Amino acid sequence: MGFYLLHIISLIAMNLFTVMSYNLVFGKGKILHFGQLAFSIIGIYAFCVPLVRYQWPLWSALLLGCLGVLLVAAFFTWLSLHLEADGFGVMSIAVHLMFLSVVLNWQGVTRGALGIPGIPRLPYMASLESFTLVVVLFSALWMIFLWYVGKGAFGRMLSALSEGQWPAASLGISRSMVHFVAFTISGFGALLSNLTWHSYLRLLSPSDLQFPAMIFYVMIVVAGGAGSFRGCFIATVILVTLKEGLRFLNLAPNLVGPLQLILFGVILFTAVWVRRETVFPKQRVV
Amino acid sequence: MTQLIANGLIAGSLAALIAGGLALVYGVLGVFNLALGQMVLIGGYSTWWFHQVAGWALFPSIVMGISIGALLSWFTFEVFIRPFYKLHRFLPLVTTIALSLILDGMILLLFEQRPRSILSGAKETMHIAGAYVSKEQIIMIVLTMGILFIFAYVLHSTSFGRKIQAVVQHDHAAMSLGIRAPALHRFVFILSGVLASCGGIYMGIDTNLSPTIAFSITIKAYAAIIAGGKGNFWGAVFCAYLIAFSEQFVVGIHWFGAFYVPPGYQNTVALAFIIILLLVKPSGLFSSASRSA
Amino acid sequence: MRKTFLVSLMAIVLTACQTGADSTNNSITIGYIGPLTGDASPYGVDTLNGMLLKASEINAAGGINGKLIEIVTEDGRCTGADAASAAQKLIHVDKVIAIIGGQCSGETLAAAPIAEEAGIIMISPLSSSPDVTDAGDFIFRDYPSDALKTEAMAAYFAEKGYNKVAVITENTDFAVAFRDALKKNLGEDALVFDEVVEPNTKDFRSLVTRLNDVDFDVFFPNGQSAATIGAMLQQVREQGFEQLAVSHDVAQDQSLLQVAPIASEGLQVINVPAVSDDSEFGSKFLEQYGATQAAMAFAAHAYDAMGVLVEAIGTVGTDGIAIRDYLNDLTAYEGVVGAFSFDANGDVVGIPYVLWEVQDGAYVNLRNIDVN
Repeated sequence: MGFYLLHIISLIAMNLFTVMSYNLVFGKGKILHFGQLAFSIIGIYAFCVPLVRYQWPLWSALLLGCLGVLLVAAFFTWLSLHLEADGFGVMSIAVHLMFLSVVLNWQGVTRGALGIPGIPRLPYMASLESFTLVVVLFSALWMIFLWYVGKGAFGRMLSALSEGQWPAASLGISRSMVHFVAFTISGFGALLSNLTWHSYLRLLSPSDLQFPAMIFYVMIVVAGGAGSFRGCFIATVILVTLKEGLRFLNLAPNLVGPLQLILFGVILFTAVWVRRETVFPKQRVV
Repeated sequence: MTQLIANGLIAGSLAALIAGGLALVYGVLGVFNLALGQMVLIGGYSTWWFHQVAGWALFPSIVMGISIGALLSWFTFEVFIRPFYKLHRFLPLVTTIALSLILDGMILLLFEQRPRSILSGAKETMHIAGAYVSKEQIIMIVLTMGILFIFAYVLHSTSFGRKIQAVVQHDHAAMSLGIRAPALHRFVFILSGVLASCGGIYMGIDTNLSPTIAFSITIKAYAAIIAGGKGNFWGAVFCAYLIAFSEQFVVGIHWFGAFYVPPGYQNTVALAFIIILLLVKPSGLFSSASRSA
Repeated sequence: MRKTFLVSLMAIVLTACQTGADSTNNSITIGYIGPLTGDASPYGVDTLNGMLLKASEINAAGGINGKLIEIVTEDGRCTGADAASAAQKLIHVDKVIAIIGGQCSGETLAAAPIAEEAGIIMISPLSSSPDVTDAGDFIFRDYPSDALKTEAMAAYFAEKGYNKVAVITENTDFAVAFRDALKKNLGEDALVFDEVVEPNTKDFRSLVTRLNDVDFDVFFPNGQSAATIGAMLQQVREQGFEQLAVSHDVAQDQSLLQVAPIASEGLQVINVPAVSDDSEFGSKFLEQYGATQAAMAFAAHAYDAMGVLVEAIGTVGTDGIAIRDYLNDLTAYEGVVGAFSFDANGDVVGIPYVLWEVQDGAYVNLRNIDVN
């Protein structure tokens, strides 16, 4: 039981990296961004391929992973400035699917659908106990960082932009700069989640990087109250526990999957229903 | 080469059918429906059920499949769209993600995780001008063209079509002219559901249905709509065909006599093409540019 | 809203505690990990039922040395992430003695380090990826590595003089691993057409037109599911190609015959023997669980994995290291898929192969294929 609790705590901590930083983009910035997994894919493959397949030292692989995240952030910024909000929403999914398909098809380097087994545990994280300790510590640090970013000048600029491009522009807020920083932060959140998660699994498999994972993040942020720091934290704890907790209901095996889908659908719908006034800023109508 | 064109027509007709109805929804209501792929599947699966399990003849099964699709989209509109889209037009984007999860679960419970094919018999293929096509495929291509022509006629030459165009241009102005915009919204949404189930039925007849293809159907349809200039019916139809043709040509052509594009990149090339197109013309192929800061 | 969450959460935690306290000394708990949802769920359902069939037989006969078998089922969803959570729960909450699973290679590879660390035996009835060979000391499989099956296939092709093979592979771990092994055994040149398509593709028409430029003896639809193999076969036949089609286990599937009834006629499949619907095992299975979701072969492998595990526990007890050594020293276990044992890496040896052919809408056993 004890080990399983540690496992759940680690899962929550690892999800917090992504969720809390995604909350900055989607929740606070109201940018319709559904391509969070694009960061995960590029970041983790840029890290794992050189590390495991070409025996690079850890720090240089890590550097490449960070570089990958920065490039993707720049690409998303460029797209978000060129496209309309909802168009960007759908095209960010398309970008995710494109990266996924590159990873699946570039078999000489990524091993395609076979994934990369044998990823080493990161230093100081060999046993489950120490892993949990380090992950919880890091996610706490990451959240403190995000808290200050959200409360500070950058958070205010992001909010101003989300309420209106034009007034914000007239205040001298650079939309491209704010978007780039927001995407970069959410990208590094995704990288942190994946670094820890895949070294925990000791396996990088593209089947873990499909779109349903994104739906889970959207659900958490909406349920927690888009933009709310505390809300998203609580929602992560509850929903991750709930997702794992479903295993304990002893349902018939062929019912577990469909019922989980339906349950999560209902939760997401209820969350939007409850927060329908606040998820997106109210539009003025004539 | 003729085979490639035939393939493009087959795939394009299916895509155009789905994307056309959706473009109207986007134009009239301004909302995205991310449960579209699941609606396609439900239409196809219920036809399969009536034909293969209940043992009905094909035609009444198709009618039932379409009716169930219509009922489902009506229900979707009332529960997942109408309470939200006036508050903010992005809200249905999230509620329909919720719906897609629920429908995914329902499909698994009702129809199981197995491939299903509506017609179990053989399909006769004909050899026309160097291309193999089956009777069903020809019917589908012709039927899609027919539906598109009816749309063209209704949209451009009837008062009802003009009402739709008025609502597309300005909701409130149209209402002040006495057009019942809310009723029109419902009608257009159900219509898109009907077209989606037609797409599902066609897919179940032509190849087979399996529960996990829903999402890629949705994404491709929206790529066509965005590239076509959002809400522009003809733009969406054109781009649906364009995407389908580019997908066929990408894998089927020996490029510059030197290499084939690996077919694993089939979808990627189409999506990348759309992104590049949007960067050149951000508001889509067939629409005027909008203002932005 | 938040209250309902908390209440349901509490309920779950309470049930969790109960499960933990439930395990008594009068039963032996064995875990199962496999895909019960998603694309791969037909395999999961079949292997689970095969395992349950063996367990119910053992329990009906009085259990293992008087102790009844209890099975805890976990959905691995064919992803490493879910399999890891499943393994953590099985090992640390349910305190299982051993695990039958995972089914998808990704599941097995992600669960393996957790089982290794805890010293828990894992026997996979379905994972075929070569990576599983090095997964660890406690990880076994009674499903042959693709390397072995493709050897049988290569032997058959060589005998018939087929040296030009056209392969279309679905981009999933099982199918890609199989293609790599096939390439190794047949030689690069034998694959005159070798393309990988996106998972779940249903439209192969344009790809198939390219077969016109290729001279080939055998068409090999290498898909992960009956849905894609059915679509491949149908579209190849629609365009007038008459060549023989040969495939692997996935194509031995009743739903393939329903999805592509005419196109699948004459399809040959190389698979394990003695597990058709009218064999002794097959009729027992059908009586209990009805038609298989995917294929009887998968149920049979799970049945035998459970069988060999039960034999080990019955002989040496529930200690993981003892079971491991027993399985390593095993000379032969008489299962329904053949008399098999395990090599030093935990891979199965001794599974024979049979050539099946679809004749009049049913799989017919043509003959055995000898490897070595």
